[in-house]
Amino acid sequence: MKPGAPRGREAMVWLAAPFLVAAALLVGLPALLALGLAFTEYDALSAPRFVGVDHFLRLWDDPLFWTALGNSLLFAAMAVPLRLAVALGLALLLHRGGRLARSAVFLPTVVPDIAYALLWLWLLNPLYGPLALALKAVGVADTGWLLTPWGARGALVALTVFQLGEVFVVLLAARRELPEELYELCELEGGGALTVFSKVTLPLMAPTLALLAARDVVVSLQTTFVPALVITQGGPRYATTFLPLYIYQNGFEYLRLGYASAMTWVMFLVTAAMVAAQLWVLRGWRASKEA
Amino acid sequence: MVLFLAPLVVMLTGSLRPPGLPPPRGVELLPEGAGLAAYAATFELVPFGRALLNSVLLAAIMVPLSVVTASWAGLALAQTSGWRWRTLAGAVLLLVMVPATAVWLTRFAVFKVLGLTGTAVPLIAPALMGGSPLFVLLYAVAFRRLPQELFEAARLEGAGPLRLWRSIALPLVRPTTAAVALLAFGLSWSNFIDPLLYLSGEDALTAPLALHSLELLGSTQWPVLLAGAVVVTLPAVLAFLGAQRMFLGEERGSGWLGR
Repeated sequence: MKPGAPRGREAMVWLAAPFLVAAALLVGLPALLALGLAFTEYDALSAPRFVGVDHFLRLWDDPLFWTALGNSLLFAAMAVPLRLAVALGLALLLHRGGRLARSAVFLPTVVPDIAYALLWLWLLNPLYGPLALALKAVGVADTGWLLTPWGARGALVALTVFQLGEVFVVLLAARRELPEELYELCELEGGGALTVFSKVTLPLMAPTLALLAARDVVVSLQTTFVPALVITQGGPRYATTFLPLYIYQNGFEYLRLGYASAMTWVMFLVTAAMVAAQLWVLRGWRASKEA
Repeated sequence: MVLFLAPLVVMLTGSLRPPGLPPPRGVELLPEGAGLAAYAATFELVPFGRALLNSVLLAAIMVPLSVVTASWAGLALAQTSGWRWRTLAGAVLLLVMVPATAVWLTRFAVFKVLGLTGTAVPLIAPALMGGSPLFVLLYAVAFRRLPQELFEAARLEGAGPLRLWRSIALPLVRPTTAAVALLAFGLSWSNFIDPLLYLSGEDALTAPLALHSLELLGSTQWPVLLAGAVVVTLPAVLAFLGAQRMFLGEERGSGWLGR
């Protein structure tokens, strides 16, 4: 704020009041409560009972928790790079017009989660699904993809790749903000498409990509919930039991709210650590560029 | 482009198949005897009409509310500069990063203690924080691009924060409003988890929940399920097509992108 700014400026702060109150009640308070509940035994019926760090010790010995954590990390490791790469490719392809094509790319993103999951459940149906029928028509007989752990994981990754509208739009905007003169210069110097991409486009868009990657990691930890619930129910053999699903099962199906809260906090810390690691890498990369 | 549209097209054609027939043996582009019979069955099996009405009502409350609170908070945030801006914008960004799943349980507990589970309040409440902290950031970034002299001049004439917001700030960021409104609509329309946790009973179904209960009926009649999916998807697609002009715009400087 500039010194001597007119007094009216301070009054603007009040406009943020509803947001701050709601954020405190809906995010701040629940997050703190989750921390508190994590140290208690609570089933939503009787009063919470303090149990210390028991839940965290139990988590350590819960093989399913480690499976769920591993699945979530694996999912992020597969889905995030793929989503970013596809979205970047499409943004570079479509940054010069083609509103129809852009709309087409965005359209799967607006399909409500549950309808989208149901749609894919049908698409991937091994007997009657269009994909199975199409593959059978060309002579491929093996359509039991949802029955193998890697097939199910791959299917869930594939269906999130189609919903990349938000990443796509942000990358489109980032590409359009790059100065055209730079590209004209490259053309004059006769740089090939690949050189231009690796020397100009990629370095200039790297900060945006890094932020999107951080956000996508967080998002990918949540988006697995509905598809895993509707399409694979966590199977086969727990291959798609992701953390949100396991938390949901513990909290709302088995009413182990304390235990689920402990898990929630571990998930939150894992997320924060992953985002921090990414930002740390980005900072190091930037410093090496500037040096 | 074709690849991205393919699943949706297949969904539509699949829903036109008459229900009750054995599944097709091969690939069929348009099913034989295509018609709307599956849609009729969908509305008979679950109270879809009621569910659609509920979802429309929720969206009608949540979208304007989200736009108002997000733009208010965004305007307040845009007034800061220097380290304050970086700190506060960073804090909001952190809030964006908090996974929704991390507060599911205890948010539910809070509403339970308040005796508000089973009402629409827990569903609408997020709109009070702008729908998503991301929308606040979008508005803050848009407002910061406006020349500050505009605000200073209006302030000298004695305009209060609300008048600044309504008659100066908001009219200048229409593309952002279109984008936020569309995204807020998507959030409220697609919301599956919250209604699943908070609502019960036939009268309180929302469109995604109705689709879920249709699925739970164990219907192996794919045309019926797909018809339900189309019904739930259609409003979202229409909203997108209505707003896409504003933010996937062609020319530089016009759309949300061409800044």
